[in-house]
Amino acid sequence: MQNNTLGNIESIGFMALLILYFAGSIFYFIYAGAKKEKAARAGYILVLVGFAVHTLCIIARGVNAGRLPLTNQFEFASAFAWGIAICFLVFVKKFGFDALGMVVAPLVFLVAGYAFMQNREINSLMPALQSGWLGFHVCTAIIAYGGFGVAFGVALFFLLKGKLKGSLAERVPDEKTLDNIIYRAVSLGFLFLTLCMITGAIWAKRAWGSYWNWDPKETWSLITWIIYAIFLHLRLRGAVSGRKAAVLAVVGFVCVIFTYVGVNLLLPGLHSYA
Amino acid sequence: MTGPMDGAPDHKAGKGKDRPQGWLRFLKSMQFSFVLLFIIAAACVAGSVIPQGSSEAAYRQLYGDTGAKIITELNLDHVFTCWWFVLLTALLCVNLILCSVSRFPAVLKAWKASGRKSVGMWGSWITHLGMLLLIISFAAGQYTSREETVYGIAGSTQPLGGTGLSITIDSFDVSLREDNTVEQYTAGLTVSDASGNSKSGTASVNHPFDAFGYSFYQDSMGWAVYVDIYKSGGQVKTDLICAGEYTFPNELPSLVLMFNKFYPDLARNEDGSYYSRTPLPDNPHALYSVYYDGSVLGMGLAAPGTSIDCNEYSFVMRDPCEYTLIVAKHDPLSWLVGVSAFVLLAGLFISFYVRPWEKKRIQNAE
Ligand code: HEM
Repeated sequence: MQNNTLGNIESIGFMALLILYFAGSIFYFIYAGAKKEKAARAGYILVLVGFAVHTLCIIARGVNAGRLPLTNQFEFASAFAWGIAICFLVFVKKFGFDALGMVVAPLVFLVAGYAFMQNREINSLMPALQSGWLGFHVCTAIIAYGGFGVAFGVALFFLLKGKLKGSLAERVPDEKTLDNIIYRAVSLGFLFLTLCMITGAIWAKRAWGSYWNWDPKETWSLITWIIYAIFLHLRLRGAVSGRKAAVLAVVGFVCVIFTYVGVNLLLPGLHSYA
Repeated sequence: MTGPMDGAPDHKAGKGKDRPQGWLRFLKSMQFSFVLLFIIAAACVAGSVIPQGSSEAAYRQLYGDTGAKIITELNLDHVFTCWWFVLLTALLCVNLILCSVSRFPAVLKAWKASGRKSVGMWGSWITHLGMLLLIISFAAGQYTSREETVYGIAGSTQPLGGTGLSITIDSFDVSLREDNTVEQYTAGLTVSDASGNSKSGTASVNHPFDAFGYSFYQDSMGWAVYVDIYKSGGQVKTDLICAGEYTFPNELPSLVLMFNKFYPDLARNEDGSYYSRTPLPDNPHALYSVYYDGSVLGMGLAAPGTSIDCNEYSFVMRDPCEYTLIVAKHDPLSWLVGVSAFVLLAGLFISFYVRPWEKKRIQNAE
């Protein structure tokens, strides 16, 4: 069922996007380290081109497999990196916070690199995975994780701002702006995580007859959700809580990663095929 | 637009008028929500890391005597259904109700002050309402839903638990792709009620069949075989058993044939272990064991038609066929869960996207 040309396009494309994301990260480091304004522009363009190639790879795989390419560990890791990349590109454009690329561009590279190390064979879907709801479920997860990934990067700057020196310190906006960006990114993530859990529940109802089974993946997405709910409320309580909220934005993203990688490796359950 | 609490009607509204008692203040406070949410999250961690529903012996093996004792004492073997988890959830509902009720007048006032235009004012209030409805409808669903399980081969009819309905499995089909992976499992079903009304349809994975208020799910499948039992050459019994089940001669129940596992297309790995090359019955074999008075007499692999002899008795397994397991669910409150989820999502959207946008518009107007 696999088409060799499309398979090759995907393989070469994936290699190319890894290089592009990596080069983008390097330029962002140059931007942050030296006083080179143009480096940020170069970093942005490299990540943008990497993102475009990434999109093509995902489309090529989808056409090749004849289905949404969002079902196994490789496909989801790749989409996860794609989600962080698109959220990053949008947030940097909107808020003009270029130094963010120093944290988030390498994050995109690492997640894409993790994807690259997975088995990239195209496998056929077991019946339970053949559902339109699965598409919604995974697409919403990607946006949610992208939002949380950006929030994580900004929260690191928020927490480390006092320790930054030299040109980098000048390039980081004030706490109020950082807080606002974290909030915007978390609220995007929270809305989509809620959607993700609801579409997942609808799918579970169609496939197994119950919305919620407390399998480890579901449970960890609930833990993640609770952490961000606490974040949203802590923020409402003033400056001291703002710091705590930033810590939660970091912890929340660690939970996101655990939900995705840790649960698959350590805690088996219904979702263990994914 | 970023300032914490800016202009937001907060949970302390109502202060000054009839100031509530200390404990009531705590019950509706955000501190209390933090405590509850934190413990619930911690319980979820425990419930995902500790295997749920295992036996005490299994916990002892995994965590030692003390560990097992702690787990069973604290109900960590069934976190999500234990009394303290239910209590925490109930307290979260109380917290949500009190906080929503006490904030209501302030939100209403702010909304009226906006000329009844600012929907954004309601965002977090609607979110909390959705959350509350979701917890309540989910909990109510646990008590109002019913579940029955039946399994059988094509052609069999059986009652559906105590529901008064009966179900006939008209057909069961496993469709395979070219590479022998399963594409779909489909069961043709007819469901009848006591007064003779009936409805037919198919249930396949992701596509349940609805009839008489129940949804019928194609859950799983396995292999069954017919077993003929002979005594001194004369047939004394015929039974149909599924993998994992056993049968015995009626006059000698202590002699048991157990049908452990079925290999549709038996093959051998290099290390000597057995597996099935394809899901097609090209080289069918059943793994069986024979017991007498609880101890094993023997075990082996038998092709259909092979006679397994024990003194004057012999067992012959024949005609392997696939059975299907159907789960029937009656869930009268599922629509309420759906409505709650929609309210929650609408509330979140208003909080995060309508409200900031309205604020911006107001600021620009000023
Ligand atoms: C799991 C339960 C809860 C969820 C999912 C939740 C969710 C939310 C969300 C999404 C917001 C909007 C935040 C924003 O606009 O930035 C919010 C605001 C708020 N929540 Fe909750 N909440 C929960 C429980 C509670 C409880 C129990 C209380 C009571 C103490 C509470 C008090 C508040 C208050 C006072 C606000 C601010 C209202 C405003 O600014 O309009 N929340 N909540």
